[in-house]
Amino acid sequence: MADLSVTLCGKQLKNPVIPASGTFGFGREFDEIYDISVLGGVCTKGLTLERRVGNPVPRIAESRGVILNAVGLQNPGVEKFIAEDLEWLKSKTTVIANVAGSTLSDYAKICAKLDGLVDFVELNISCPNVKCGGMAFGIKPESIREVSRAAKENLQKTPLIVKLSPNVESIAANAIAAQEGGADCISLVNTFTGMAIDIEKRKPIIANNTGGVSGAGIKPIAVRMVYEAAQAVHIPVIGMGGITCAEDAIEFLMAGADAVQVGTQNFTDTLACPKIIEGLNAWCDSHGVQKISELVGTLKLN
Amino acid sequence: MREVTATILENKKIADEVYSLTFATEEEIPVRAGQFCMIGVSGHALRRPIAVCKAESERITVCYRLKGEGTRKLASDYKPGEKLSVLLPLGNGFTLSDGQKKIALVGGGVGIFPLISAIREFSQNKELYAYMGFRNRAAVCMESELQRTSRFVVATDDGSAGYHGTAVQAFLDEFDTVKPDAVLACGPTPMLRALKEATKDKNIPVYVSLEERMGCGIGACLVCVCGKKDGSRARVCKDGPVFEASEVEL
Repeated sequence: MADLSVTLCGKQLKNPVIPASGTFGFGREFDEIYDISVLGGVCTKGLTLERRVGNPVPRIAESRGVILNAVGLQNPGVEKFIAEDLEWLKSKTTVIANVAGSTLSDYAKICAKLDGLVDFVELNISCPNVKCGGMAFGIKPESIREVSRAAKENLQKTPLIVKLSPNVESIAANAIAAQEGGADCISLVNTFTGMAIDIEKRKPIIANNTGGVSGAGIKPIAVRMVYEAAQAVHIPVIGMGGITCAEDAIEFLMAGADAVQVGTQNFTDTLACPKIIEGLNAWCDSHGVQKISELVGTLKLN
Repeated sequence: MREVTATILENKKIADEVYSLTFATEEEIPVRAGQFCMIGVSGHALRRPIAVCKAESERITVCYRLKGEGTRKLASDYKPGEKLSVLLPLGNGFTLSDGQKKIALVGGGVGIFPLISAIREFSQNKELYAYMGFRNRAAVCMESELQRTSRFVVATDDGSAGYHGTAVQAFLDEFDTVKPDAVLACGPTPMLRALKEATKDKNIPVYVSLEERMGCGIGACLVCVCGKKDGSRARVCKDGPVFEASEVEL
């Protein structure tokens, strides 16, 4: 039995496996299938200050090895989450609240509301910045620094994770920008922007036309980006992108991730996360690894 | 709601482009009429949401139309004896009150299959009138199951079998004679829309089972939503798939 616990920003997680935002709700539905207290943590559905109804349907499509989604941040609003779900979720495991906004002030306000209530705040900066002509906050280093700072100024007690978009020029430069803005941790990658077409209708399958690409097919790109980002910063890194099994998770740890998130695979197999946790334990045992954190950043380049 | 590895007992063509898949679970899993399951197809990240047609102790039958790569693979690669990854039972299913005695069932295309499960559940205690629409004679199936009703009408778009027209038209033709207490319906959205419009002044509840592209199938990902009358969004997989027609936007 290996020690699977990991420490992120001074907080101990019982293992490095966390379901990714948007694939797990607030954990209640999955808890009907298995006890989610086995997880290292749960990253919540993206929260905004006010309730959002999201995009029209269809919101999902499939392509070889990947899926595309454009849910559009449908959520009940942060207050409702705090009132109805937070206490229950905290009784189960470490809570990472994923938050989004359209202005710097949205990010500042939502962080202030969650400060001290959750274990971590994860900033979704892939949303369009209404004050910058709709370009996502997460594209340019300058705006990443700015939004990280606005969030950090309102988080006195809770560590800040900045979730990086992969649709960028330099992931290393953006990782550094998040760190300079005050991020205590970074997570990556968010989804790649893509399109899938129904050739009979000559129309995109997703109502929003484009959607975020995730799933097994993106893993090599995600591993490369996690490696580049981890090399560039000294803060902890949470890696994700196409993890389907324990071996995939180990690739991310070796590339420099301190913990991992699992998204799309929760749809393929509702038991994906507990299976990955068991698989990590088995792999460590069979490889003489006593503490899983020993694997982090042990990649040896050719 | 359970994640199971089932064993395939049968996977055969029953009509033009329609297959019937029967699998056995290790122990009996109670499934109510109108509930569905998510079936994994290897190489596909998303599972296929498919309505349960028959549930007989640990033997469960679902029927599906060949629609895309996933369902084609399900038809060609999955043979009796092989394992199948299934999540079930999902969704709310059809609910009828004791006072609702005469029930009309209106189905079209693959929408007839969840209604077969309703026939099996309710035929003991209710008087059932089924109106089932198919494209043509080659698409007609499940007639032996329809025999369990008090009356059934097969409708075909081209008139090659039974009533020439849609299931909704066949149902409306007999409405005043049958005078149902409630309607259960499943089929393509234009069909459900026509049914909702035609019944809005008839003062009876119409319960429709909806179809939508799904992610998790258990209510967590908010992918398969439908609009509600009050402007909110309901999850087809968890709050549905059955809704009262007047409550949802079609």
